[in-house]
Amino acid sequence: MPVQQAETPIRVGVLFSQSGVTAVVEQTQRNAVAMAIDEVNADGGIDGRLIVADYADPRSDPKKYREAAQAMVDAGIRILFGCYMSSTRKAVLPVVEQAGALLFYPTLYEGFEFSPNCFYGGASPNQNSIGLARYLMRTYGPDFYLIGSNYVFPYESNRIMRDFIETEGGRVHQERYVPLASSDEDFARAIAEISSQPRMTVLSTVVGDGTARLYRAYREAGLDPDVTPIGSLTTGEPEVALMGGALAEGHYTAAPYFETVKTEANRAFLRRYRSRFGAHAPVSACTEAAYVQVHMMAIAARDASDNVDDLRTALGVAEFDAPQGRVRIDGDNHHTWLWPRIARADASGTFRIVSESRTALKPDPYLITPPSADWAPSATVA
Amino acid sequence: MKRDKAHAFALKDLRELSVHVVHAPDEDGLALLDHLRRIGCKAEAHWPPPERLPGHADLLFVAIDREIHAQVTKLLRRAETAPAVVAVVDYENPATLQLVLETRSFAVIGKPIRPFGLLANLVVARNTFLELEKLQGRLSTLEAKLASERNIAKAKSILMEFQGLSEAEAYRSLRAQAMAKRTTIEEIALAIVHANDLLNFRPDRA
Repeated sequence: MPVQQAETPIRVGVLFSQSGVTAVVEQTQRNAVAMAIDEVNADGGIDGRLIVADYADPRSDPKKYREAAQAMVDAGIRILFGCYMSSTRKAVLPVVEQAGALLFYPTLYEGFEFSPNCFYGGASPNQNSIGLARYLMRTYGPDFYLIGSNYVFPYESNRIMRDFIETEGGRVHQERYVPLASSDEDFARAIAEISSQPRMTVLSTVVGDGTARLYRAYREAGLDPDVTPIGSLTTGEPEVALMGGALAEGHYTAAPYFETVKTEANRAFLRRYRSRFGAHAPVSACTEAAYVQVHMMAIAARDASDNVDDLRTALGVAEFDAPQGRVRIDGDNHHTWLWPRIARADASGTFRIVSESRTALKPDPYLITPPSADWAPSATVA
Repeated sequence: MKRDKAHAFALKDLRELSVHVVHAPDEDGLALLDHLRRIGCKAEAHWPPPERLPGHADLLFVAIDREIHAQVTKLLRRAETAPAVVAVVDYENPATLQLVLETRSFAVIGKPIRPFGLLANLVVARNTFLELEKLQGRLSTLEAKLASERNIAKAKSILMEFQGLSEAEAYRSLRAQAMAKRTTIEEIALAIVHANDLLNFRPDRA
């Protein structure tokens, strides 16, 4: 392909909330996309063409996501990055499909979806839920308490966890949901129930602002993370930064990426991110996925073109040395091969990795019942 | 949240299903196969429609098309195990729907094929099919039971008439004979009814 003169830029749309219930994480995703776009541009863009981004702030509201996406495709944009909650992704997908555009979705979610117009950069349940439930069961015993925010991702995530726990001979004592816009009272009842049972591990899919409330209520009730820790898929570095290490200490999170991953790509990624967004700016798996997806898109566009059909084909074989390790997209299901990890927060709020997969794991978004040995973690206890 | 275990189809069995597709290998046919395999089903494609499906089939996705309709109905008649049929349609007019009804479909998906909705239709079709199979099984059992009750009643009245027994005695006699011959009361009753028919046969009334 001949190198073109600097001419028409490649326009992309970026849809992350800067206010609303999930703004804390989405702000980091927006940062990561902006930074990755600058890196691609500094590297000569896409064959000499620069990427130019339109940013929208849909404020955690599905309707605003849909409207913003519609405005972007109406303006001729065909490449979109965005969405955290599934409800917002579902609102954007029809717009993207109708316009023949592409959505890059950089967030863990519940699986059971495929759109030819979407690429999924976050973990499927087989890449995080199963490993977390197995690890906590082995370490803390068979009794579990499930708590989540009241929407689709926690429902499905808990279905998978419950299935797995019961198949392995464990027991789920309770499955509770709190409103997305939660109050302290919402957690009081759950904490009372958790306190009433000895040795009950808590599995949390509480997202957004409720996270800090849950961990605070837990700590104030005098519960001990060495006996009944909280294991979560959605408590990442930004949430921990917000609530402080004192509340997070001793609790677990499963994700394909943590700030503490020891790769050269991660060191470079963190150095650049922090020099730009602040020395203590938190970075989570959702942040990393957003960053990775921009680079994947750029790699595919250089291989092919920015035409959606060419891009889709090229993305199906795209690979990238991500901060978490080398990742690639699964051409069949548009999800991403990722590196499952489990980490435990210390008193400074730093995630210490206690277990990680030896290889990138194939995404299986349509997995109903997990096989027993889907995950081969290597014990890398710090 | 307690999950209802009362339905026939268990979601965990999804990937064990044997799924067959009779559809031209055009864009829709390929999209259909792609998504079935993406879901993790074992899907086998056939085109043109084969004489019969190889072995066991749990589900059959079939293109609704007048050109192949006769072949499809023949194929369904010859199936070793009846599959749950999902019709793949490109029109919703009465003529097309007539063909959908004739293939006894349990669900319908439209063209162009979209991934969304395929899994839901597959699950509902298989579940409805199994529920119906269960009901048909119960129906056959009940019909057989009803027929045997009728024979027993008939055999009792024959014994009562010819041997001057009470109803209770007639039943005890049936039971004693069944035990002596190591067979069921139903069998003995049937034998008595048949014998009675033979004994009462008159050529002039045949």
